[in-house]
Amino acid sequence: MQILMQLIVSGISVGMIYGVIGFGYQLTFATSKTLNFGQGEALMLGALVGLTTINFLIGQQIGTFWAYVIMLPVVLAFGALQGSVVEWLGVRPAMRAKSEAGWIMATIALGIIFKNLAENIWGRDALKFPSPLPEASLSFGGIRIQPMEIVVVVGAIALMLGVEFFNRRSIYGKAVVATSNDRDAAGLMGINTNRIITFSYALSSMSAAFAGVLVAPVTLTGATMGAVLGLKAFAVAIIGGLSSGMGVVIGGLILGITETLTGYYISTGYKDVPGLVLLLIVLSLKPSGLFGKAAIKKV
Amino acid sequence: MLKIDKLVAGYGKVKVLHGISITVPEGKVVALIGSNGAGKTTTLRALSGMLKPESGSITLGGKDIAGLTSHEITRMGLAHSPEGRRVFSTLPVMDNLLLGAFPRLTGSRHKGDVDGDINRMFELFPRLKERRTQLAGTLSGGEQQMLAMARALMLNPEVLLLDEPSMGLSPRLVEEIFVIVERLKKVNMTMLLVEQFAAAALEVSDFGYVMENGHIRTSGEAHALKNDPAVQSAYLGGGH
Repeated sequence: MQILMQLIVSGISVGMIYGVIGFGYQLTFATSKTLNFGQGEALMLGALVGLTTINFLIGQQIGTFWAYVIMLPVVLAFGALQGSVVEWLGVRPAMRAKSEAGWIMATIALGIIFKNLAENIWGRDALKFPSPLPEASLSFGGIRIQPMEIVVVVGAIALMLGVEFFNRRSIYGKAVVATSNDRDAAGLMGINTNRIITFSYALSSMSAAFAGVLVAPVTLTGATMGAVLGLKAFAVAIIGGLSSGMGVVIGGLILGITETLTGYYISTGYKDVPGLVLLLIVLSLKPSGLFGKAAIKKV
Repeated sequence: MLKIDKLVAGYGKVKVLHGISITVPEGKVVALIGSNGAGKTTTLRALSGMLKPESGSITLGGKDIAGLTSHEITRMGLAHSPEGRRVFSTLPVMDNLLLGAFPRLTGSRHKGDVDGDINRMFELFPRLKERRTQLAGTLSGGEQQMLAMARALMLNPEVLLLDEPSMGLSPRLVEEIFVIVERLKKVNMTMLLVEQFAAAALEVSDFGYVMENGHIRTSGEAHALKNDPAVQSAYLGGGH
């Protein structure tokens, strides 16, 4: 029982990371029906920019904890900028040309370019990211939790609640929801929907970059860290349903927990299988995702 | 005042509007009538920038708006209550109304008294007041139509475009909608009204234009059109 609880707790923290990245897919899909297939690379760039920033700050005799805190807004701003660039270079031209699939290739291409760029700047090796909190585990009734794992869960929830609060309370947030509902009608309200879509890309990459610096102190960081995370988060977004932010988070938790359970009870070699099996099952039984609303494509 | 001159527009290679000219004078109501597929909705879509005109001019209060995007045109004071209502279904009634005032709330249009205007909308459409916290998608067709109209009015527009406000509604609700149009007319709202209920539309209008296959077939004062035998037999006869 204790082992099971331990596995679930570890699974939650992994799952939250998948959830945050998947949440990013959902943000852009809602407004533009497109998504950034370089989302994993946005995460990787965020983590590496964070690494350089935090190392610089530590070099200035700032303690690791405060260095991490100061680094966060830098990384968030970088993520927002990077997302805007992806939208501007990869998505907008395809949407203007009314291309159904152009954005897929364009965002994949940009992802590969970002990865190459990162390999040349930071090298190909996995790098250690300084942890702002002690690495020794805390014990709760025999269940061991790393302090950073708690930060991951709290940070992920805070980010998603923040976006939800913005959408519900501010007129700009309502404009984002209106654009997701009906883009043409939003334009008739005087909303610049192109700008809303750029904004959703900025927010999406910002979420990924944030996930990057949350996960980096727990794992390692490097130019290749994004690919697998991005792909798994994509599976999570499909499992949960791209039309539901809440669904994506629950999808993330389901995948995180099944992975840790499989890793322990079956074999770490099969760790990646159940998530993909789950993906296939959801796709065949409920293609709009567990929590997704079925989209009716009007012809 | 809204002035349309020799407007040509369409979808891709298919031209729908073949050079139409319409004038909507300040404070007047103009009805645009005609059978299905005549190009009435396309006209409104071209006016509000949902469709890019190929040629011709559209001036709103003296400024040329042809070719601008719909958010730019809206910010200049042209409100469009579109065909099919198009309310924001996952947002509450109240948020739909606030979004109607988006340019006023975000500094691209004179702000005025937004809260007061919301209360005025609730007076005009008492049913929306009862349902103000309800999601727009859960409203009945008639209520959604009222919301679409109220949302457009929240812009404090110079000109209001109404596309088929009576579509799919019960006779009693249609009557209710026309009463509201009448009330808006009394406060000198400039309106261009597209309607299939041609007789009722001409009844509340000052001027009328009859469209056929993307052309203006005839136009004139509303009561004169209503009594025109040719218009009567084609558009005001049985069924309407």
